[in-house]
Amino acid sequence: MLLYAEASGDFNPIHVNKEFAEKSQFGRNIAHGMMVAATISESMSLTFGKSWHHSGKVKIRFRSPAYPGDTITTSGQIQKMVLSEEGTEVRCSVLVTNQAGETIISGSSSVIISN
Amino acid sequence: MASKKTDISSYIPDGKHSGSINYGELEVGTVVSQQSYILDKKSVQIYISAVKDTSVQPETSASNIAPPMSIAALSLRGVVNDLKIPGGTLHIGQELSFLKPVRVGMHLECVAILSSNSVRGEYRFMVVDLNVKDDLNDHVMKGKSTIMLPVDISVQ
Repeated sequence: MLLYAEASGDFNPIHVNKEFAEKSQFGRNIAHGMMVAATISESMSLTFGKSWHHSGKVKIRFRSPAYPGDTITTSGQIQKMVLSEEGTEVRCSVLVTNQAGETIISGSSSVIISN
Repeated sequence: MASKKTDISSYIPDGKHSGSINYGELEVGTVVSQQSYILDKKSVQIYISAVKDTSVQPETSASNIAPPMSIAALSLRGVVNDLKIPGGTLHIGQELSFLKPVRVGMHLECVAILSSNSVRGEYRFMVVDLNVKDDLNDHVMKGKSTIMLPVDISVQ
């Protein structure tokens, strides 16, 4: 998380300061939401390649925090495919859960694949 | 008649990017942050290491295309720093549209504008619109960040 703080410039003490986090509602440090969300982009990029860079969209809610040591699982499911002049828009639901099956992030994403 | 505040610096007592911000005073339309960055190779490598992104394919690394979310992280950097987001702030929602691949080494212009500022219960909710343009003045990313902070730490 320190590395992500360095990469993002987000040194919010909830992520990087143990003493601050222990006094917070979470009782310990939590991961940056965008660090966890990066796994969604990674999955979409692995699945759809360059199309994700050109036309990727994501809309997510951070439902619960992820903690250091958590094992997260990122999944996506195609919900709809829409043909247009630009190509085929693939609409997906996306989900990130922790080892207990709790939802960390939920939302949707889409990408246009050239016909 | 009071002049309309359109820049975050006008909400900081000394007019500089130091001191505290009264988040309740921030008006919709305020430019929260406007920053220029060079998306350098080292920064991208740190980002990839931090998120352990395995999607950087040989074809993209050969053309030095940065992970799209690294652009999002960069655009949020200005928001975090210029809005002086206090410690108890939570990022609760994010929308992103990636419009064009960004090569490493590209100069990027990131602008963040407050699009909503409201209070519900004990929390303040702020929505910030993100816009990132490249050297060619093309939009490469647009987004919308929703953050939540306790009302009682809005004024410091």
